[in-house]
Amino acid sequence: MMNDSIVGTAALALWGWIMILVLSPDHTPAQFDHLLERLQELGFTPHISKGQHRTIVGAIGDENLPQAEEVFHCLPGVEQVLRIQKPYKLASREFHRADTVVEVGPVKIGGGHLAMIAGPCAVESLEVLDEIARTTKAGGANILRGGAFKPRTSPYSFQGLGEKGLQILKDVGAKYGMPVVTEVMDTRQIPLVCRYADMLQIGARNMQNFELLKEIGQTNKPVLLKRGMSATVKDLLMSAEYILAAGNKQVVLCERGVRSFEDSTRNMLDLAVVPNIKGQSHLPIIVDPSHATGRPDLIPAMALAGVAAGADGIHIEVHSCPEKALSDGPQALLPPQYASLMQSLRQVAAAVGKIWA
Amino acid sequence: MILVLKPGASKEQVDHILERIDELGFKPHPIIGEFRTIIGVIGDDNAPGAETLNALPGIEQLLPILKPFKLASRDLQPADSVIQVGSTKIGGSHLGMIAGPCAVESFEILDEIAGKVKAAGANILRGGAFKPRTSPYSFQGLGEKGLQILRDIGTKHSMPVVTEVMDPRQVELVARYTDMMQVGARNMQNFDLLKEIGQARRPVLLKRGMSATVKDLLMSAEYILASGNSQVVLCERGVRSFEESTRNMLDLASVPNIKGQSHLPVIVDPSHATGRPDLIPAMARAAIAAGADGVHIEVHSCPEKALSDGPQALLPDQYAALMKDLRRFADVMQKTF
Repeated sequence: MMNDSIVGTAALALWGWIMILVLSPDHTPAQFDHLLERLQELGFTPHISKGQHRTIVGAIGDENLPQAEEVFHCLPGVEQVLRIQKPYKLASREFHRADTVVEVGPVKIGGGHLAMIAGPCAVESLEVLDEIARTTKAGGANILRGGAFKPRTSPYSFQGLGEKGLQILKDVGAKYGMPVVTEVMDTRQIPLVCRYADMLQIGARNMQNFELLKEIGQTNKPVLLKRGMSATVKDLLMSAEYILAAGNKQVVLCERGVRSFEDSTRNMLDLAVVPNIKGQSHLPIIVDPSHATGRPDLIPAMALAGVAAGADGIHIEVHSCPEKALSDGPQALLPPQYASLMQSLRQVAAAVGKIWA
Repeated sequence: MILVLKPGASKEQVDHILERIDELGFKPHPIIGEFRTIIGVIGDDNAPGAETLNALPGIEQLLPILKPFKLASRDLQPADSVIQVGSTKIGGSHLGMIAGPCAVESFEILDEIAGKVKAAGANILRGGAFKPRTSPYSFQGLGEKGLQILRDIGTKHSMPVVTEVMDPRQVELVARYTDMMQVGARNMQNFDLLKEIGQARRPVLLKRGMSATVKDLLMSAEYILASGNSQVVLCERGVRSFEESTRNMLDLASVPNIKGQSHLPVIVDPSHATGRPDLIPAMARAAIAAGADGVHIEVHSCPEKALSDGPQALLPDQYAALMKDLRRFADVMQKTF
């Protein structure tokens, strides 16, 4: 995974922060002196550049940037504080050049390996999951998904089978030789879910549940971190940073659409985040066209587009009988639809030089 | 359409509603439940007066059943429309590969860009002569001189040309020079412009407004179709969002979404959608994989000297590399350009 962590450590040691402070045109000499004093106290070296109308100060330092940044904003005479570096380190490509490859059981995600995650929204029964696992595995899926704890918009909707669901998921995964991923909603569930799952999912609604992120960061399970419904790319990477900073390096990001004014789809799939994130982070990113569109008629095209855009995998909800599904049936593909999509996906994967096993 | 009545709607209100339905020439089918009454109304949802039913006392909701557009819908025309722009076809299995600078700046620059994009495989040349710039102080375009340059270069390199029309008064002028007229995102709901362009005999490239839904876009297309011009190509170019690291948010799902309900071709403009050359190639590939009928990409031989939108332009070499890539994706999708 982090096989070039020595390089990483070196990069961290060399990591310096540069902030640009733009002073207001009417700042006083006293304010200027005070600013220089505070910079020194905080361990920053000032580089002053006086123009005819404006003075700007470059502040170079090694640590404590987030705290210092807030201090700078408070200083009288400072009009603007411009941050030069990204606010995350461990998630950044500067810190870790090569693509991270996350291993979930025998399945690799990233660096040319695609994760094909499939399964029902919720684990409903051994029989139903068994049928779906068998058919999606035959179609080419390599990771089985299924929710045991369900974050439903309505408190009256099916909330999941809990531990019984986890047991079913684990048993069915073992039967078909598929690693399993399932959602954790609460810090108190982590040890329990870890006993059953190969990968922990953090749902979109919990992307900024920071206690959950920190706690999951202390486990040794790979994590599937979904983008929040109105989170920017930066927000998503900051949430990943929480997990990485807590010690868990096995993070896979997931674009699943964001809220928008468009009312004919459940969310708006923001596929540009794939190259956007890949440009600035080494973490793998997969795409979930099921939640993004909420419409089976749009899922195949968006799955193809996801892989064409450079995603490291696709997460698709499949159900053998959507009309009887206890959760999100209307957005599920039928097993034959999934199998046919996977055939087209192999062609697109070949065109981008990627594989999955 | 379906009328859902309020839980406490009185007998008088129900009778009045039934009367109005009758007056409008519709047939009512009331379903009286224990707590609610709903009335199925048989007739054309889009008939004049239909929406006035929503204003009657006692009505909680009016649910239209039919799509509000007709000419643009697949119900009317199941087969894909293929739009002919000069020698280039867009739609069906034909991809429109539109490329060129944001604005026409000079004969020499456009000549150089056209030669290179044509060699790379572009089949339509773009260039703005009338520019809708956010700031009134930015370069506003060369006007008719720009149109002349565009026409001359297009002819020289045997490429049909597309350029934007911003005002109904320009339609006639622009139609004299161009093979295809573009309606920009900011004018997607400039209804007088749409009607005017609907009367011109030129294919139209209709860009999605910055906060227009798919339905809004199809309704704008309907304006042009209803005025008699059936040669409309739609263009997804991203919408406004909270994401601040890109210029807009490319809504690629609009491609299969539109194709499911309309026969019109849809192309994708990753240049305006992302505003970032590093994201354009991936989004162009994704667009073709999503089933788009072409991509629209801004190319400039010297982006740093471009008078408009230089930062989002690809260099000719980058464009050529991308086009090589796109041919492979076009093969997978069984399309050609």
